[in-house]
Amino acid sequence: MFLLCRDLWRNQHPFFGAISLALGILVTAGANAADVLQPQVNKPVSFVNEVIPVLTKSGCNVGVCHAKAGNGQNGFQLSLLGFEPAEDFDHLVREARTRRLFIGAPERSLLLLKASGQVAHGGGVRMSTTSEDFALLTAWIRQGAQYDGAIAPKLSSFEVQPDHGSIQRQQTQQLKAVARYSDGTERDVTGMALYESNDRAMAEVSERGLVKILDLSGNVAVMVRYQGQVAVYSASVPLGAPVVNVPAAKNFVDEQVFSNLIKLGIPPSPVCDDATFLRRVTLDIGGRLPTEAESAAFLANQDPNKRDAAIDELLRSPDYADYFANKWTALLKNRRDDSSDIVSNFAFHAWVRDSLLANKPYDQFVRELLAATGTVIGNPPVAWYKRVKEPKQQLEDVAQLFLGVRMQCAQCHHHPFERWSQDDYYSLAAFFSQVGRKPSSTRGEDLIFHKRGIAVANNMKTGAALKPAALGDAIPDITADEDPRLKLADWMASRNNPFFAKSLVNRYWKHFFQRGLIEPEDDIRDTNPPTNPALLAALEQQFITSGFDLKDLVRVITRSHAYQLSEVPNEYNLVDRQNYSRYYPRRLQAEVLLDAIDQLAGTQTDFTNLPPGTRAVGLPDNSYNQSSPFLRVFGRPEGESVCECERVQSSSLAQSLHLINAPDIKAKLASPTGRAERLAKDPRPIEDRIRELYRSAFSREPRPDELKTAQAYLTEAAISADGKPVDPQKALRENFQDLIWALINTKEFLFNH
Amino acid sequence: MTDRKNTIGCRNRAGMEPEGSHPRLCYLLLFVALQCLPGVLFAQSVGLPAPRLLTTMPMGGRAGTQVEVTISGENLDNVDQLAFSDPKITAAPKLNAAGQPEPNKYVVTIAADCPVGLYEARVMTRLGISSSRAFTVGNLAEVSQTRPNTTLATALELPLNSICNAAMTQRAVDHYVFEARQGQRLIVDCATRGIDSKLDAVVIIADAAGRDLLVERRGGVLDFKVPADGKYVIKVHELTFKGGPAYYYRLGLWELPADAPIVRQPSTQPVNSFSWPPHGLPAQAAIAEVEPNNDRTKAQKISLPCDIAGNFFPAADVDVFEFEAKKGEVWWVEVGSERFGLPTDPAILVQQVTRMGDVEKLTDVAEFSDIPSPVKVSSNGYAYDGPPYNAGTSDILGKLEIKEDGVYRLQLSDLFGGTRNDPRNIYRLVIRKAAPDFALVAWAMHMELRNGDRNAVSKPLALRGGATMALEVVAIRRDGFDGDIELAMDGLPEGVTARGLKIPAGQSRGLMLVTAHQNAPRAIGSAHFTGRGTINGEAVIRPCRLASMAFPIPDAWNEVPSPRLFADIPVSVSGIDFSPITVSPTSSDMLTVVAGQKLTIPLTHVRRSEFSGATMNLRTMGAVFDRAPAFDIQLTADTSQAVLDTAALKAPPGDYLIAFYGGAVAKYRHHPEEIPVAEEARRKVEQELMAIEAEVTKLTEAAKAATAENKPEADKLVEAATAKQKSAAAALVAATARVKQVTDAANPRDIADIVVSEPIAIRVTPAEQK
Repeated sequence: MFLLCRDLWRNQHPFFGAISLALGILVTAGANAADVLQPQVNKPVSFVNEVIPVLTKSGCNVGVCHAKAGNGQNGFQLSLLGFEPAEDFDHLVREARTRRLFIGAPERSLLLLKASGQVAHGGGVRMSTTSEDFALLTAWIRQGAQYDGAIAPKLSSFEVQPDHGSIQRQQTQQLKAVARYSDGTERDVTGMALYESNDRAMAEVSERGLVKILDLSGNVAVMVRYQGQVAVYSASVPLGAPVVNVPAAKNFVDEQVFSNLIKLGIPPSPVCDDATFLRRVTLDIGGRLPTEAESAAFLANQDPNKRDAAIDELLRSPDYADYFANKWTALLKNRRDDSSDIVSNFAFHAWVRDSLLANKPYDQFVRELLAATGTVIGNPPVAWYKRVKEPKQQLEDVAQLFLGVRMQCAQCHHHPFERWSQDDYYSLAAFFSQVGRKPSSTRGEDLIFHKRGIAVANNMKTGAALKPAALGDAIPDITADEDPRLKLADWMASRNNPFFAKSLVNRYWKHFFQRGLIEPEDDIRDTNPPTNPALLAALEQQFITSGFDLKDLVRVITRSHAYQLSEVPNEYNLVDRQNYSRYYPRRLQAEVLLDAIDQLAGTQTDFTNLPPGTRAVGLPDNSYNQSSPFLRVFGRPEGESVCECERVQSSSLAQSLHLINAPDIKAKLASPTGRAERLAKDPRPIEDRIRELYRSAFSREPRPDELKTAQAYLTEAAISADGKPVDPQKALRENFQDLIWALINTKEFLFNH
Repeated sequence: MTDRKNTIGCRNRAGMEPEGSHPRLCYLLLFVALQCLPGVLFAQSVGLPAPRLLTTMPMGGRAGTQVEVTISGENLDNVDQLAFSDPKITAAPKLNAAGQPEPNKYVVTIAADCPVGLYEARVMTRLGISSSRAFTVGNLAEVSQTRPNTTLATALELPLNSICNAAMTQRAVDHYVFEARQGQRLIVDCATRGIDSKLDAVVIIADAAGRDLLVERRGGVLDFKVPADGKYVIKVHELTFKGGPAYYYRLGLWELPADAPIVRQPSTQPVNSFSWPPHGLPAQAAIAEVEPNNDRTKAQKISLPCDIAGNFFPAADVDVFEFEAKKGEVWWVEVGSERFGLPTDPAILVQQVTRMGDVEKLTDVAEFSDIPSPVKVSSNGYAYDGPPYNAGTSDILGKLEIKEDGVYRLQLSDLFGGTRNDPRNIYRLVIRKAAPDFALVAWAMHMELRNGDRNAVSKPLALRGGATMALEVVAIRRDGFDGDIELAMDGLPEGVTARGLKIPAGQSRGLMLVTAHQNAPRAIGSAHFTGRGTINGEAVIRPCRLASMAFPIPDAWNEVPSPRLFADIPVSVSGIDFSPITVSPTSSDMLTVVAGQKLTIPLTHVRRSEFSGATMNLRTMGAVFDRAPAFDIQLTADTSQAVLDTAALKAPPGDYLIAFYGGAVAKYRHHPEEIPVAEEARRKVEQELMAIEAEVTKLTEAAKAATAENKPEADKLVEAATAKQKSAAAALVAATARVKQVTDAANPRDIADIVVSEPIAIRVTPAEQK
């Protein structure tokens, strides 16, 4: 199971690789260990509080080594990160005919021979024979290899010192990890703790807890783990540049963003021009380019509030609903696995889209989904239960998508980076334990109902029957008649819920700013603090106060000057990637880009079953990816997971080649009903036609140099390969095709900026 | 044909194998399965042609008007009348300018006093009465979609207070535009599934620019308060953008006062509504639920018996009722809600309330949920494994036995209502002393002939001479009624008999066999189908409703069936077409056998067709004897015999009615008598052409010989005659094509169909006591 878990983390967690690497390259505690760790080898060694931490620090009990699910590594199994010391003791001392330890000659114990590389060890050398760790393990064996789980003081708290600070670039900070025990003792466990930076581009941290700040400014956190407990060191890294000409604050978003920039000394770029704004906000809210008419009207409009008005107009439009439905249906796994799924997929997509169009409060939207009952046609959110069938899947998806909490690990073991235990996991699963199913008249679809009974789920490990509990919050007793899912929805929508609103505003923030205040956006935990906690808290509060009004949230975000900053960096903020001192350009999503190309080329993409003219952002499910190389190459998700990371937003060579040379792009350019054909026949002066193209592609007028270049190209006499002059009309048509092709391939077109 | 069932069983996702499956094993299984299938089941269609009326355009009309209706369907040869289930609606063929009937067009007259509602429309054809199509009589103006309206620019004007009859265009959105004033309350209601259409409609009200304002996708009604004076757009499309003639709809737009309740367009009844209401239930409930009655402290006090109307509103509504009851009392609890056509799933919990001081203790006494289907319902897979009709319901019918004197609480909730806020989800709760009773529903019996095809389940009762058609009859028994239910059908046309294979005591399934004798004349009758039971010593007769599918289902894998109840039961005899084979007992006398002995039944075959395959495997239907092993008869022989072992069947003494049934593949000739008609028509056209050609020759010669003065006139005559010649030549081409068409249709074609013998009466007498 941990393999699955590991794969999932590898896919979804950018730091997983770092963890594996950090643990994998641990070779030795080295001589430096003595500086901070002084094992009392002449005193009784505690298995629980000393041996296990050594094994953990040495990387013996990670998922890829002896904590691998199944049978560990080569028959020797340890619990993940030492969460189960009693089991580890059995495996070490009693298993394999007790051959792993040799009490008579401790140094000859197989455990030590392998760990020190004296005997071939697949995991390599984990400690030297002269290390403190080696000495400690030797002493424990010599003392009879006793298990002290019942008597050893319990780890009661753990902290890192300092836990926050302001630190200059290229400076270092030594962290100290302190463990406190139930007997009142305190130990410096700096050498035994595990460290991890949440942004390795900003800060590195050594295995001994030495933090080194690199060149970037902003906020960075280092997670420190020890024996199932975690602590965080948060550092503010100022740039210290003079911050002048900060745009006026339009709302609390600006106040929080700009005050953070002032604190860090990162001057923001100025507010962008009208053309850039309209294109940006239309792409971000409506998932499309502005029309030429919209651009012209907006640019001509002298109303000082025209940006706010444009935002309101976009939020009223079905384009908003189409675009955000596209986002949500992929996350909610609206996937076509069988041709008969078409009805439920279309119905589900439509339900999401209609909910957004009607601006259904987000808590109500989630409630209708979570507690869906009936038939798909009668109540389309039931389709989610067709896709996500098992309670475990249900809780994991709900936790990650709506709470920003990844519970997958806690199914099999205590979450390595979080406070979630297996009891937390199964208590959450219990909410879904009374989902009843009856066959429907539609193949592959069930009727969903609340099955009367007391909701419980069994902890897979302990067998304990657990009642519903929501991530540490007790839920009042749920009677047999009450649908526990409704109680879960109640809990989510309660004003004090620490996850629900936070998760959503962070997700939407990322939609508009490319980077979440917490990254990844669905990994909210104590050890992954937001880059701007005050802003996140303010957004969260505003969202709750608004009654979970999604359009209002979008309005608040997009009205801010912070959102409207130019993407052009100043001399200080080019490297800033987390403080929103400028707009971070990003490539258009696959669907949006396809629609934009169609809009510019004056064409339509034909999608099976759907009316001609259907936009790619309006596609109800993933099935269209199969027939569209474009959508695949540009990373349209398949609805396999609830992670936004499934959508590929990065650029690739395949994408470039596709735009340059793919048959579908060529066909659009050469379409007999397309824009190139029309413009070639258009009697207007060539300048007007070029202006139309630029307004369509970039929502702006061409600059004089662009106009001149385009004009020269379009009017150039064409000569065929055999040296004969080409028919001027044909040449003009082909030249327009070339010009459109060139515009499509500009970064200005491909990116929202 | 390939056996799709077997191939599909080996995959779960396109191109992927399920865990643990083995592709080679799948192929092996497929191979074995194909080898095992009888050869006769390949390359044939299922079900002899049956007349089916599939569309009428328009699908309704306003009372007191005449409507021109165009029909379409399958096997509608020689249509001679369009008939309705109510005499207040009549139809006559539409005549062209020459006074000749226009094909498939009728003028329908709806009497001014014809009540608003749904009626059955059918046509009488060569093969008999067709399947039905719902026809609506309304009180609003009616318009029809006259041209494509798939864009905003081509939107059709829809006047307020009118109904538009239209058919959905595939992969398109139909657009309508209307004018409205600020503050008006407008209702937009699109009738689709409720009038037999295949359309799952999405209806959208948009602004003049086509931007969506209000959307309804679940078959509901749009209640629109007009925000400002101006033009608005209604967009209609199919949920998955399907379209075609079968995807028709009646789009209604009407104004309604602000506080008036919405009355929707009429709709057909779902099959399971046959068991509602209980006999004698008043139209209005005696009392209404009173909110708040959501929790135990606010339970609504009632006394038994009771009859309560309520609704599942708001979301997650629970209605709690409290009553006192005495030890030994037995109550029957029935809830109607889903049977009203609502998407609900009522559930009841009854608890006894006891108190220890101030502490209240609740003890579960009974839980009630669904009324299960009395017979196994199809799993909707590719292979036929039960009727695709669900006589059960998610409503409630249960027995509540009171074990102790005391206070009881009954809580009623909707298992589908957790998040739904719709006050239209109503219920009726009846708690009564036992009133034993039953309700019946029937549908055309089906058996597995070829995977996927459910042709028989949508067949009308259009009998061929010599044919016996079986109807499967299912009973919902109420309040402990456990006796026999005898089945009877009268009002049949001449030469048609119906014999019911009763629903035995304690069971829920019976059969009705309707037989047209070989020489039965062409006729139609409106049958009256009833069941008879004896309750408390008195005969009780209840109607049996007939159910069928709105459309034939040639591929059950890809189509969700859409069954409904019908208002009447017309039975017809073709008088022209005959059953390929009639299997009947050689003697019509009752056969007698002593219990424990074998009974040999001589059978006579009247064969009117060739068959593919030499034998037909017959099974037995009828109480007790349906356990008899299947046996083969020779399809090339004129006689055969069946042997029934009463000892093996443990048939107790008594009178029985049985029949044999099986599947055979006939080499069916469709409409052969049309060949000479077409040939004669062709001959006439040919002769006309020859005459015209002669005329042309003559006139041409005359024109050549004409004087200069007469030449223009002569040339004109030649020109006119030549035009007639061309026209006649084209007519000959058409007539020749017609001959080919009818000849091809009349060529023997393999068609698998169900063969049911005529019923056989058996008396099992007691064995002598030794």
